[in-house]
Amino acid sequence: MKTTKTIFQDGNHKWVAIVRDPQKPNFIIDTNEYLVTHGGKGLVLDPGGVEIFPAVFSALSAEFDPSALTGVFASHQDPDICSSLALWLEFNPGMRCYISNLWVTFIPHFGGTAETFIPIPDEGLDISLEGLMLKAIPAHYLHSSGNFHLYDKVAKILFSGDVGAALLPASMDGLFVEDFDAHIRHAEGFHKRWMGSNEAKRRWCERVGQMDIDMLCPQHGAIYRGADVERFINWFDQLQVGIVSA
Amino acid sequence: MTTALTTMSAKKPQAGVDLLRIVRINEQIKRVVGVSFKINIMALNAIFLAKRAGTAARGFGVLSNELRVFSQDLRTCMESLTGLIHACVNEVSVVLQDNRLANLFDRAAELAPQHPALLAVLQRRSVEDEKHALHLTKLRRQLKRALEDAFQMVELGGVLAKSAKIEAAYGQSFAASLAQVSGEFDGVVEEIRGSLESLRRSPFFAGN
Repeated sequence: MKTTKTIFQDGNHKWVAIVRDPQKPNFIIDTNEYLVTHGGKGLVLDPGGVEIFPAVFSALSAEFDPSALTGVFASHQDPDICSSLALWLEFNPGMRCYISNLWVTFIPHFGGTAETFIPIPDEGLDISLEGLMLKAIPAHYLHSSGNFHLYDKVAKILFSGDVGAALLPASMDGLFVEDFDAHIRHAEGFHKRWMGSNEAKRRWCERVGQMDIDMLCPQHGAIYRGADVERFINWFDQLQVGIVSA
Repeated sequence: MTTALTTMSAKKPQAGVDLLRIVRINEQIKRVVGVSFKINIMALNAIFLAKRAGTAARGFGVLSNELRVFSQDLRTCMESLTGLIHACVNEVSVVLQDNRLANLFDRAAELAPQHPALLAVLQRRSVEDEKHALHLTKLRRQLKRALEDAFQMVELGGVLAKSAKIEAAYGQSFAASLAQVSGEFDGVVEEIRGSLESLRRSPFFAGN
């Protein structure tokens, strides 16, 4: 079963990271899921693949009533992001899925009806969670062509999908980045190969660099906090991406 | 609920096995459909040959006509079998997909027991599972019946082919050609009979 760690709390406004499942088979990439709650309602960010649904669902339900989930935010269309969608919807058919308008006709292959999907236009969208305004921030081509991150201005947290992801060895299973230089070595190859556009990366760094961020939460690996957030943005800005040796 | 879950889990491997068996039956039916088309062409040729042979092959001509009707009936019969097979494939595919999802819900229920909404999902799934099982049982019976009908039809085809062999002997100067054609008929009908016999023995029909 995955563990839940509350990374932000202010009254009933919470961010919970659902991470690290020791029982997960090694051939499945490790993922972080996040739960944002406010006013008794919840939103799951990148709820994960179908195979890890039991682990995510059980961990989440230990922390929060899953019947009170209003929706899913999917940063993009990959199977590790939201192939569990049909299971969440079967549990709670009223849930909505926020995703790039590029993917709204593709994701129904994982499940859902015409009512399920709330398309996010290219420029982004404000998403209300019981009065808490969350912002879908454009991150196109990083790596998916229709890609969004989610910013919580109050908690000062940016959920950054695959940006900031690191494929960490088993020995580095901490929730937060503790040694940036040691950590970033495990992120470099991933970003060079997966991120397809230097221009898109530049725009993202400019946009995100102007935001007030305490924590940058990727979908794989550890969370950047404090000074490591800016360190990461600067590192990413310098990195040449879209590179493959073949 | 534990009982329902156990029942569901016990059925899981069966869907995969059933799907494999249905796919094999479908392949066999496709073969029979192909062969029945061949009989139709053969019967047409036999009719022309009987006409050329004149009065000596009148009996053979009648039988060739009957064989042509038989091949058309057989094709119609096979089309209905194909329809039933497709319905079975669809049903078992749904069960297979449901089983995979049910398995994931089972695991979630083990890790997060006592969640009432989750138990409701499992209960709903159990009811759906029963519906699919009943539908599949119905289709299985229909398929078995349609297969029996096809077999009876092929028995008749066998009798026609054998009668054509006898009639060929009266074909005077055409006797050799007529014997060759009727022999081919007999061979093809036997081939179909063999296929249908093996279909009847499919373990798919051993289930409910």
